[in-house]
Amino acid sequence: MGKKDLVIRVAGEGGEGVISTGDFIAAACARAGQEVYTIKTFPAEIKGGYAMYQVRTSLDPLFNQGDTFDILCAFNGEAYQINRHLLLPGTAFVYDYPEGGFEPEIPPGVHAYPVPMSKTAKELKSYRSKNMVALGALSGLFNINEETLLNVIHDKFQSKGSENLNFNLEAFKKGQALVKDVAKTDPWRIADPVPPKDVLIISGNDAVGLGAILGGLRFYSAYPITPATEIAKFVAVHLPKVAGVLIQAEDEIASISQVLGASYAGKRSMTATSGPGLALMSEMLGMASMSETPALVVDVQRGGPATGMPTKHEQSDLFLAIHGSHGDAPRIVMAVEDVNDCIHMTVEALNLAEHYQCPVILLSDGSLAFSTQTVPAPKPDRIKIIDRKRWDGTGEYQRYGMTEDGISPMVDPGTPGGMHVATGLEHGPTGAPNYSPPNHAAMHRKRFGKLNTVVDFVAPTQIDGDGDADVGIIAWGSTIGVVREAVIRLRQEGVKVKGFYPKLMWPMPVAQYEAFARTCGKILVPEVNFQGQLAHFIRAETNITPISLTICGGIPFTPIQIMNKVKEML
Amino acid sequence: MSIMAVNKVDLKPKDYKSEVPVVWCPGCGHYGILNAIYRALSEAGVDPSQLICISGIGCSSRSPYFINSYKMHTLHGRAGAVATGAQLVRRDLAIMVLGGDGDGFSIGGGHMPHLARKNVDITYVLFDNGIYGLTKGQYSPTSRPEMKAYTTPYGGPEEPMNPLLYMLTYGATYVAQAFAGKPGICAELIRGGLEHRGFSYINIYSQCPSFNKVDTIDHYRDLMESVPRDHDVTDLGAAITLARQSSEGKAPMGLLYKVERPTLDQRMQVMIDQVGGHPDYDLNQIVDLNRP
Repeated sequence: MGKKDLVIRVAGEGGEGVISTGDFIAAACARAGQEVYTIKTFPAEIKGGYAMYQVRTSLDPLFNQGDTFDILCAFNGEAYQINRHLLLPGTAFVYDYPEGGFEPEIPPGVHAYPVPMSKTAKELKSYRSKNMVALGALSGLFNINEETLLNVIHDKFQSKGSENLNFNLEAFKKGQALVKDVAKTDPWRIADPVPPKDVLIISGNDAVGLGAILGGLRFYSAYPITPATEIAKFVAVHLPKVAGVLIQAEDEIASISQVLGASYAGKRSMTATSGPGLALMSEMLGMASMSETPALVVDVQRGGPATGMPTKHEQSDLFLAIHGSHGDAPRIVMAVEDVNDCIHMTVEALNLAEHYQCPVILLSDGSLAFSTQTVPAPKPDRIKIIDRKRWDGTGEYQRYGMTEDGISPMVDPGTPGGMHVATGLEHGPTGAPNYSPPNHAAMHRKRFGKLNTVVDFVAPTQIDGDGDADVGIIAWGSTIGVVREAVIRLRQEGVKVKGFYPKLMWPMPVAQYEAFARTCGKILVPEVNFQGQLAHFIRAETNITPISLTICGGIPFTPIQIMNKVKEML
Repeated sequence: MSIMAVNKVDLKPKDYKSEVPVVWCPGCGHYGILNAIYRALSEAGVDPSQLICISGIGCSSRSPYFINSYKMHTLHGRAGAVATGAQLVRRDLAIMVLGGDGDGFSIGGGHMPHLARKNVDITYVLFDNGIYGLTKGQYSPTSRPEMKAYTTPYGGPEEPMNPLLYMLTYGATYVAQAFAGKPGICAELIRGGLEHRGFSYINIYSQCPSFNKVDTIDHYRDLMESVPRDHDVTDLGAAITLARQSSEGKAPMGLLYKVERPTLDQRMQVMIDQVGGHPDYDLNQIVDLNRP
């Protein structure tokens, strides 16, 4: 069939077990040696509302959620209605029937598998077993490895008592039995198990938390905000284990203030938020620039402005991240591509903040926040921690003393002889206020100049493809994963295309951008925002004239959208 | 802040003076408060290298520059929040916040309840002169309506707030008040705050001869009334009754309230102990929890 991956979408009402069904499938596939890339949508309602969990699996690396699904499992009529336009010829459609409360119309070419989920659950005298019946049916129909699936179910329910476990196993077996004699007409089948890899299966938000812990974090303060709050949840569980402190602040202004206080006091500190919170932090980020205090802010972007679309995906905070402060306020801005980056770039962002003594903003986005992916298990002893430069105790201490690289050693409070002021006022080398024109200019040169080496400090921007190409695609954030796949598929179709995937957004590696553009006929910049924010910076900072492709419907690009645009440009 | 963890040193008040010249107007009450701070630090024997003074913006927020210690001069209204972060990671240091009425109760008013209720172990000295001096005399949250100022040419349209009442009901565990004309009493109350384990709030009225023409030193002398000798400082109701005097033309001077309650950092330590927290914790254990 020429397609190595498989996409299963489970949809229904929140609270029906949609999410746990997806989690079971994802974990079972990962244990069976598959790569996994999932996306979910939660209802905005606390209970009820439409919920969706999509699992993409393959033996090969996966870069994104795929174009669409191969298999839809609908728990209710709403799930069918919302997805019916995606029931294309060739897809398999598993649905609750009879007694599911809806009677779907099966489009031509769709492989329909009615499974009496609710009815069977009723016979088992528990509505809550419906999803386990569905899971059994899916396992039977599409070769989701039974052994690993049973192991996952076992691990999940064991702690809840044998009665609970046995009951769920019974529902699962019932589901399997229901499809045992069904004539399978579709080609979809998950590959047989291979030896499992040394992987984690983890969401983007949890991965940021894990990266923070691995990166030596000691202080975390944040205010609840969708879609970033799970980072705080993860850190809250694990930070006390390394004797660190997490505090929930009264607002985002307080959280970034607390981060600066803890950082001044000598500890690696961070906060995580979304666009509205980052906006509130802008003044204090200027304080971090001015007082040269290390601080990491993770911004899990969402649809904006104002309250916007809190649960929806968007890459629209690049302007805010790079320039959101008054005055000339230098900072470093990075953006993650995938869940693996969420781990390792959080470590790197903490390192950069410490080394350069400035605010670092790490951009994630709503589509990664809840996306679980298989990632290579990080090895804590191989994580590189870079600490701030500290005063060696000799001579007279000057907090903002001029140095060759612009980085002045810090000193932890409590150290005899190191007393100084960290200040938001313009200051001379000792920290004493100084408004003289030459001093203000000299201090700006110091604060901006120290960032000149950032481009060489981090890995060079990855270039996807060699030689010349008709179209070069520059992508950032989670859009990179979509472009990677589009590039592979376009090449299979004979299109000459290359990719450029910056993770360091600011300062911009201008020479790398321009060198890449020289090898490409046209440059395309796809991004999920209205204004084309990266395209704007490319026009402003480089000699490139890119073609901007923007979408802003609250959902990520699909590979097909990128491919169509590239073909249009040829 | 409890200074129990901090090295004890034997220094004179002048040893806490930094080399930065003090820049306030002649006759400003802040001089008296600053001297009281030097005295309190000397009497408590605080090692200057184990003290962080943190401020926001305003005339009084310049104070840290004049004190020999570690210090942060931060943004308008944010000193308390910044201090919270520093305190939670350095429980072994003494931390003071120095600032004014506009900084603390207007722009920074959102942070005040949380410093108090969380019992953050810091000492907050609020220089209350009922005016924005640095911006040349606008009415503040503690200005009296009769005060004509820069933006209130016909008098103030608002009722002043009563900081003591707020701090008592927010849950501060040490609440005291004095005025700049009594540096000895100020020093004693600030020292008490430094030695108290928990959030200490010391409200000190300070005359601003440049811009606040109604709250003169003589006005404060008439206003202040010592806390009765038999006042029970653990009685919140009695403290609130005393604090309410100021709306009846009198203001209490002395220690109104002092109780022991676990501090935020102590409660954080309980959590750390609960999970056997340690800087050398085996991180592989955390990684492994995320396997499929």
